[in-house]
Amino acid sequence: MKELKFPFKKTCLAAAILVAGLVPLANASDVKLSGFLSVGGGIVDDAKGVEYNGYTEEKLKFDHNLLGLQITGTVSDKITATAQFTARSETDYQLKAQWAYLTYQVTDDTKIRAGRLRTPFYLYSDFLDVGYAYNWISPPREVYYLPFNNMDGVDVYSTYSLGSFDASVQAYFGTFDDTYDFSGTLAPAFTRNQMGIAATIGKDWWNFRVAYHKADLTMDASKTPLSATSTFGSFAQVLTKFGFEKNANNFLIEADKADFKEIGFTADTGTFVSAIEHVEFNPGENFLAKNIREYAMVGVRHGEWLFNITAQKAKDELATPEAGIPAGVALPVVGSTNVLIGTLQAVAKTQPVNRDVLSIGARWDFTSGTALKLQLDDIDDDSAGKQKVLSVAVQTVF
Amino acid sequence: MKMSKLYKLMIATAGVTLSLVSFADVAVIVHPTSSVATMTVEDVSRIFLGKSNNFPGGAQAIAINQDEGSATRVKFNDTVCKKSASQYKAYWSQLMFTGKGTPPKDVGNDAAVKALIAANPNMIGYVDASSVDASVKVVYKFP
Repeated sequence: MKELKFPFKKTCLAAAILVAGLVPLANASDVKLSGFLSVGGGIVDDAKGVEYNGYTEEKLKFDHNLLGLQITGTVSDKITATAQFTARSETDYQLKAQWAYLTYQVTDDTKIRAGRLRTPFYLYSDFLDVGYAYNWISPPREVYYLPFNNMDGVDVYSTYSLGSFDASVQAYFGTFDDTYDFSGTLAPAFTRNQMGIAATIGKDWWNFRVAYHKADLTMDASKTPLSATSTFGSFAQVLTKFGFEKNANNFLIEADKADFKEIGFTADTGTFVSAIEHVEFNPGENFLAKNIREYAMVGVRHGEWLFNITAQKAKDELATPEAGIPAGVALPVVGSTNVLIGTLQAVAKTQPVNRDVLSIGARWDFTSGTALKLQLDDIDDDSAGKQKVLSVAVQTVF
Repeated sequence: MKMSKLYKLMIATAGVTLSLVSFADVAVIVHPTSSVATMTVEDVSRIFLGKSNNFPGGAQAIAINQDEGSATRVKFNDTVCKKSASQYKAYWSQLMFTGKGTPPKDVGNDAAVKALIAANPNMIGYVDASSVDASVKVVYKFP
């Protein structure tokens, strides 16, 4: 996954915003600096087994480290500029701009933001990297798996009081341009006409959320090798040559109508906490699987300790890019339509994830602003097998 | 034997005194010219948790905190916001790293809060009730 590099090369808007944000640096009272830090690592039960969440070794390595810095500058009464940078151990602490945006406070309850923003896919999207803000070391992997979490665009965020309820609505329009790793080959990945809406309603101890997003999704895997002599692109040409143009289109990910739905609930009574989330990603007509993912967490707080149990489930649905090709029809060169059908099915079969993960975790707020977390994940994957991961992290905000 | 009884009595007295101190009333205060006469605990909590930026009636409200570690702050967070110090911090870290909210500024002790409130018609803060004087107006009080 490629993010915006620092110094900025691509996004003039982001650069302009950063400059706008730096102008008031002369007046220190107008600039707020805050940060977050996570230092952690983990061990797997069997290094020969399936890798999970970046944990691969049987010996403890502190290789899941993250430093984040956020700068907010007040430009005027109504306008603030915000930039958030992160440095991760996984990418050799290279500094990256996650967010860079201008906020225009329209009224007390409505703001418009423009620039690089976090896409509001999930309950915890806004503070994905800020481990201190939630109870796990990282949010449940099966649901929080989407590789593209940011977008360039505009959004409107409004809050409302409805009697004793609090509600919010966030709507956005934007795009992302990134790269995606298809089995070792980097493929350009981007969206156009990406838009979405997320709404919440809650009271002091619970919150309910729904979200819907859609986009024209392209993940250009045409250069990804399919065999020693062919690529996804050349195979699509073969399909077209034999008159299966529709299947060629239903195979490649080219401006496909993708959508993403989310429904979530959180509760915190002080003693008991809970979070439940269900998501469905429909990638459109291509070889990608439809992702159906969910988790449920319950926890109990005692003093500065919080213990939780989380169950996650991935039950993806296989795509059928071969639909419509008649079986057993003789073809020149390849022999039979069965070869085409078999190839399409073989590619589609690499995509779905069917996995159950059961986790227990503890959070201990041992001093102000700092928490120590422990987590044990028990992974049962239908195709990749079983694994257990024990992870630990210290997470802080400042 | 007598010494030990006296000693126990002294400890008990000290204990009572201490608990009296920590059970002193907390007063939520605003500027004396504010049109707000009284507030409910929900009104106060909504402003201090960033769910509302306005006083009942519509005037802009800017909340200010006592410094971390202050006994008054602990009690205020516990009773009004219904959060421990670390829960309060985690709650705000969900908002401050998203551009969706900024926590109330930590401005100091009773005297510092009172001085700021007395000078700013839009501010709302809380102090130990014993330090309230005519420079501020009490809109909510809890034991």
